[in-house]
Order: sequence, then C-alpha cells, then structure tokens
Amino acid sequence: MSFWSKWRKRAPWILHYNAGSCNGCDIEILAALSPRYDLERFGVLNSGNPKQSDIFLVTGPVTYRSRERLIELYMQIPEPKVVVAVGACTATGGVFRGMYNVEDGIDRYIPVDVYVPGCAAGPQLIIDGVMEAVKIWERKTQEIEEPFKLFGGMGKIGEALSRRNTLEVKDEQNRREP
Amino acid sequence: MKKTVEIPLGSQHISLLEPIRFRFHCENEVIRDVDADVGFVHRGVEEACASRFEFKQVGYVVARVCGLCAITHSLGYTLAVEKLLHVSTNERIKYLRMLMVELDRIHSHMLCLAHTSENAGFEALFMQIMNDRELIMDVQEALSGNRVQFDYISIGGVNRDLSVEAAALVLRNLALLEPKIDELFERFTNNWSLSLKYRGIGALSLEQAYMYNTLGPLARAAGLVTDVRLETDDFPYAQVGFEIITERGGDIYARNLVRLRELKQSMQMVRNIVEGLPEGAIQEKTKGKPEGEAIARVEAPRGELMYLVRGNKTSILERVRIKTPTFSGIPAMIEIFKGSNFADAPAILASFDPCMSCTAK
Repeated sequence: MSFWSKWRKRAPWILHYNAGSCNGCDIEILAALSPRYDLERFGVLNSGNPKQSDIFLVTGPVTYRSRERLIELYMQIPEPKVVVAVGACTATGGVFRGMYNVEDGIDRYIPVDVYVPGCAAGPQLIIDGVMEAVKIWERKTQEIEEPFKLFGGMGKIGEALSRRNTLEVKDEQNRREP
Repeated sequence: MKKTVEIPLGSQHISLLEPIRFRFHCENEVIRDVDADVGFVHRGVEEACASRFEFKQVGYVVARVCGLCAITHSLGYTLAVEKLLHVSTNERIKYLRMLMVELDRIHSHMLCLAHTSENAGFEALFMQIMNDRELIMDVQEALSGNRVQFDYISIGGVNRDLSVEAAALVLRNLALLEPKIDELFERFTNNWSLSLKYRGIGALSLEQAYMYNTLGPLARAAGLVTDVRLETDDFPYAQVGFEIITERGGDIYARNLVRLRELKQSMQMVRNIVEGLPEGAIQEKTKGKPEGEAIARVEAPRGELMYLVRGNKTSILERVRIKTPTFSGIPAMIEIFKGSNFADAPAILASFDPCMSCTAK
C-alpha cells in the first residue's frame, strides 16, 4: 500500500455531480480544468466513474430526486474520499433555500470536507478548494494506512491509563508533601 | 420474446454536464426507442417567484434558473415586468443589454462547440476552445463584475455602465478571438472526425423541424427561419447588423456550422454595439406595482425563451411562467435518436446543447 501511495498522491481524480445547480458552477469547474487555470497540472483528472475517483465535487442544492443518486455515488467512491461542496447553494441552499423541491445543502446527506463559496464559484476558488481537499485526502490516506491492531491498541490504552494513574498518584503525593 | 436491449445513459455520465437520464432500447447497435427523464434538477423556481420573492428580486432569482443563459432569463423577465410598469428604456440601455446578451451567446456557443468536439474524442480541441473562451469570460468579468452569474440587468435599466477601458478590452479581445474562430471554421469543415463523420448523423428534416416545433440553432440548421431577434422589435437588432443564419441538412455538421457562423455574427454585432453606443442614462425611473399580464420573448443561445408574468398590484407576483428552448426541443431530440447508432448518442446529445436546468427549473 505504501509503495503506491507515492504515486497516488499526485493523482487525485475527481468525480463531478450536479445535484440541481444552475450550471454556473459546473461550467466554472470545466473552466478550471481548461488550460488558463489548468487544474490538471496537479494530476487532477475529471473521471466519470465513481469507482476510480477520490474527490467528489458536488454542485447545487440537493433536489428531491437527485439525493438518492448523490448518496449512491458517494457510497461507490472507495475510501479514502473527500467531498467538496462547490458554490453557495451547495453549502446552504443559497437562493434556492426553502423552495419546495430543495433539500437545503448537501451536508444533510453526506459529510462535507471543503466548502467553496461564491455564486458562481470562480475557478481560482475551485482550485483552492481542490488543493485543500488533496491535503485532507492525504491525511485520510495516512490514517487508513496506519496498522490497526486490536490487542496492540488495548496495550496502548493500558499504557495511557497507567501513565495517567501514576501522574495522579504523583499529584496526590505533591499535594500531601507541602 | 423482447428483441431490444435496454441501455441506460445518465443520470451521471462523463459526457453529461447535468443530470438527464435516457433509456435507450437498442436492437444490436441501432436505437429503436428512447425514454428521456429530464426532471432531476427541478427546484421549483416558478412557485418561489410567485410566493417568496418580491418582483424586484425575481429578476435575480430567475437568473439562477440557468447559469449559461442567465442574462437572457433576467432580460426576459425584466422586459415582461417593464411592460406591466409601462417603462420604456432609452437606446443606451437597449444597446448595453444587447451587448451582454450577445457576449453570453458567444461564450455559450463556444462551450457547446467544445463539448461537441470532446464527445467526438477530440480532447485537445476541447481544451483549445475552452482556452479561447476565457477571452470572452474576461470581458464579461470586466463589464459586469462576475464571470457567470452577472446580475447586470435591473428593472428599468442596467446596473453598470460601459467604461472606456472596458470598451477597449472588448475590442481587443474580439480582435484576438477572430482568427481563432476562423481556425475553428477550418477544423469543423475539413477535419475528418468533426465534419465528414458528422455529416448526415442526427439529421432533422425541415418538415420534422416544423412539426416538432424546434427552436434556435437546431431549427436554423434544418433551414427553418425562426429567430426572435428577427420577429420582435424590442431591440434594434437590425441597426447593429443582424441577419438570420440558416443552413441545410439539419445534421450535427450543420448545427456546428450554424453555431460558428452565429459566433462570427455576434462578434460583429458586439463590435458595432461598442462603437455605436448612444448617449444616455443607464437607469430609468420606475414606480408602481405590476398589474395585468404580459409576455416577453427573447432569443437565448438555445432558442426562444418566453416569459409570462401576471401581477395583481402587490409586490408579490401572481404567476411567473418560464418556457425554455430545450423543453421544446425534447420531442425532436427523441425523434432523432430513433434509428441512429448507439455510439453516436453522446455526439447527438452534445450537438443539441441541452440545458436541463432551464428545462426542469
């Protein structure tokens, strides 16, 4: 796993889903991928397949019909995954907040790591958001790659407890001495 | 036994910018029947316009129906409300509004051409067109302050004047863009994968275009003369050199050519507008509340956009009805899919330039 992580770090592929936005942020994502802003220089590639993606770019306040697809796509992305909410309406519902077919933002359905503000969010902001997401993604990768041993973990907890106990004992001794 | 195989496309797909779902019933490679599901992005804008927002705010709300043709949405609504308020705007306001609409048309058509070439497997050309498109986005940012959702039009006028520096930028960027569009002409007429391969694919005859009530570049590619800029006299389009553009054939190649020629014409119109901009104030005085019913029609990049506004002398409108161009194009789209190869489906879809946010509202 650690053998691949060196290369994986430079290839965060994105999956883009429009959950009811006005197209404004979607064309800005395309503009961010285009040569002027060139998000692709960081190894970011727009992939249409959730099973090959790492970063999930969502635009739009979640509409009633797109929420199932949103969760389905989120579940299909393999761990570690990062969600970026692009645009004001994705964060809170924006101008669409309270309309009858709108669910007021995606954080009611899936956990969000990065919020990108703006209506429509500019390409510079989108690049900033994606780079922030790459950092979070690297941290999540490290957390997953750390070996997890139940009994070793218990040992660690035991050590921590005993250390705390000795500290408490010392504290009590300190208190008694003067 | 059933002969056809069902293949879904969407609601999330690499060739789709927005969610739309098709169910293709295919017999071997050939599409026999299609079901289209367009309602994924329905948000309820019409209802909210008539209940939650005041009529002065609605112009900025309906711009959020669609990011690509935001300016035409706010223009259509504003024209309808100005008819109800009995406001007549001066020539400068009309020219500035026309300027923004034509700039919007240029960037929308360029995005569509980029998308068409991407779906033909021509990724490098997609990148090239998107790069050239940034010249227009710069102009829009300089003129309105925002790249996509420019809240430029207000009731009774426009929110920003055209400064001398911005006018110079417009002319400079158009001069830079002009040779690139000429080069695109060359690409789209002589390159095999963009021209000869596309000839005769997704063809719509003139009778079909008339029968299915198609609009915009789709109808004009089939030879149907329909353009709101020609039919209404809200704006002095004849003064800035507008002529209707039609092609024959109605296939993907003809649609691309219509878009390219409209690009050229829009650029010439923008140049004429900037050079012949009349003097005047950019805001007319308005008073009163809308009463009665009015209809406004404008030519969006995808075809005719119609607004119906009904007011009852309060600040909340009674009804706002939006009829969008893609909505009218769906029957023709389904008809064209029947009988064509499944492999051509993304290319045909991109050549329609469908706008689902408009359709579902």
